[in-house]
Amino acid sequence: MKQFKTILAFELKYYFKNKIFVGITLFLVALIAVLMFFPRAKELLGKDTEDAKSEEAAVMLIAAGSSEDADSVKTAFTSAFPDYEVRVADGDLNSIKEQITSGDAECAFVMESPASYVYYVNNLSMYDGNTAIADEVLRNLCQANAMVEKGISPDEAGSILSVQIEHETASLGKDQMQNFFYTYIMIFALYMVILLYGQMVATNVATEKSSRAMEVLITSADPTSMMFGKVLASCLAGLIQLIVVFGSGFLLFNLNKSYWADNMVINSIFDMPLSLLIYMLVFFILGFFIYAFMFGAIGSTASKLEDINTSTMPVMLLFIIGFMVVVYSMSGGGVDSTLMKICSFVPFTSPMAMFTRIAMSTVPFYEIALSIAILILSTAGIGILSAKIYRVGVLLYGTTPKISSVLKSVLRA
Amino acid sequence: MKLELRNISKSFGEKEVLKYISFSAESGKAFGLLGRNGAGKTTTIRILMHVFPADNGAIFLDGKPMDRQEVQIGYLPEERGLYPKKKIIDQLVYFSQLKGLSRADAIRSIDYWLDRLKMTEYRNKRLDTLSKGNQQKIQLITAIAHDPQIVILDEPFSGLDPVNAMLLKDVVKEEIAKGKIVLFSSHQMSYIEEFCDSIAILNGGQVVLRGDLHDIKRNYVRDRLIVRSEHMEKILSDLGDCCDRREEGDLIIRLASTEDKQAMMRTLTEKYDIDEIKVFEPSLNDIFVEYAEQQN
Repeated sequence: MKQFKTILAFELKYYFKNKIFVGITLFLVALIAVLMFFPRAKELLGKDTEDAKSEEAAVMLIAAGSSEDADSVKTAFTSAFPDYEVRVADGDLNSIKEQITSGDAECAFVMESPASYVYYVNNLSMYDGNTAIADEVLRNLCQANAMVEKGISPDEAGSILSVQIEHETASLGKDQMQNFFYTYIMIFALYMVILLYGQMVATNVATEKSSRAMEVLITSADPTSMMFGKVLASCLAGLIQLIVVFGSGFLLFNLNKSYWADNMVINSIFDMPLSLLIYMLVFFILGFFIYAFMFGAIGSTASKLEDINTSTMPVMLLFIIGFMVVVYSMSGGGVDSTLMKICSFVPFTSPMAMFTRIAMSTVPFYEIALSIAILILSTAGIGILSAKIYRVGVLLYGTTPKISSVLKSVLRA
Repeated sequence: MKLELRNISKSFGEKEVLKYISFSAESGKAFGLLGRNGAGKTTTIRILMHVFPADNGAIFLDGKPMDRQEVQIGYLPEERGLYPKKKIIDQLVYFSQLKGLSRADAIRSIDYWLDRLKMTEYRNKRLDTLSKGNQQKIQLITAIAHDPQIVILDEPFSGLDPVNAMLLKDVVKEEIAKGKIVLFSSHQMSYIEEFCDSIAILNGGQVVLRGDLHDIKRNYVRDRLIVRSEHMEKILSDLGDCCDRREEGDLIIRLASTEDKQAMMRTLTEKYDIDEIKVFEPSLNDIFVEYAEQQN
């Protein structure tokens, strides 16, 4: 036990003295700080320019066969496009085009008939929704005109066309829309941390082996303590990093809470229920351990650092496939599909799959308990097995051994 | 203290690495474990260090089965290496703590050894900034800083310059004088001859020769003569097959039996102008080559 503590302290110190580890953590915190202070800074710096801008709204030109038509379209568009200063164009098509290319006007609607037009714009933006709004407004205009021609009074026509449907949604389980973002962020954090730290554990073990520090270590300390010490140290380092990053995010969000009031996505992220956070912690720790053990065992069988990338490939693939299944199911909305149900009980995918299901759907408690129980048992099993592989693996030099021969030696040991 | 290995055997898969080996080493004396590459030395040491268990046999200390929790062993492995990127003091403290020392005791002992080996100036440097010989001295500290009762040194002199080799010799002599069991493994026979009172030669996983080095030499069959003379060509042609020129520049004459020794000496001194004549006593090198070559 004393040895285990020594190993844990030594390995943990390795992470905290690692410039890359500290650098990434500080960078992430700084990034979140910039993001969180952005609206406040924008408001402080950009107040004057923004006011000036709103006085000089972009110009939208209207051209039609008759000035009456142009005026009626203008009236309708003025209320439909509050961000634009809508004007009736004077001059021919060429002068309209000129005004647009020179930047005097942003866009122009040239009406060919009440139901058809050409939309002129200098650079068509990806998110330009003007034509969709114009179509809707013009359709209403045409329909109202047609009704008036059939003898319905303009007021009646107006009220017929402007019937509003009111609706409310009451979700009895989870609101997938709201939960989507934080689930996604959590799953992604889990994915990043496991891959990053898993690789670090494997590299750490392989470095000790290739530098032959292993010769002294293996004769000074119990291999099981070594393996568990390393894995626990990397888990703690990962957890501390996550807590620092998300904790500072939470703190910075609360400092700037009023500036984010309108942003549903950001608000939903920081509005995560506590129970979910606890589940997150449980699945994070178990998922981390099960993969870190595998990475550690793989690291111990590699004799050169260069071999690490190829030997960790199968575990990485397993993990990436699990991640893909979960992310596709999330964005497809099918978090309770048969595939996801299976994945939420398989120990290698359950940390992500079960967590997603808990966050985005309603899962009976016994299923959660069963999934966690399976995960705990397999983590313990893999931990013991990988400590055995480690004991055998670190003494094997030369070519990277085959899995079968390693397992044979493990059974014998 | 007496360390005894009794009937230790070990197989890896089909390969039998150790076949019922036994030997014993006493405190206050150095013991040489010899053998060619692949003879089973490292496996023997690893079993002693409890890296893996033996298939058969047991290790005894003063007649009782050795308890690895109770006995401290220091080990300088042949495959040298520590953490290249870490500060020397940090890793030395880590290794000493793994062996049960408290942090304060570890630092005290390490500072003593750094001073003793003239390495204090490197205390806070990274290991990979040191030369190979100096790295080896650092590694030696990992083997002895925790004051173990048993010290195992695998090729301790390889890579050391003569000054450092001298320093290490003094340290080893001190450790022996402190009443520790010192186990040497080396291919440099001159060092073994200098330090070790008793040896065991491993060959193909078996102990082919063991015992007190002086006894081994004395009991060696005294059936060869070393001759130095002005007329070596003549002696060579006269004696034929039983006479050979040695690298040392003298002649070796193999006798049919030890009884012929006196007669042969007389004949030689009468017939030729002889500068020197003596009974051949093998060096450890000769003994090693003879025993380690057998069966292969």
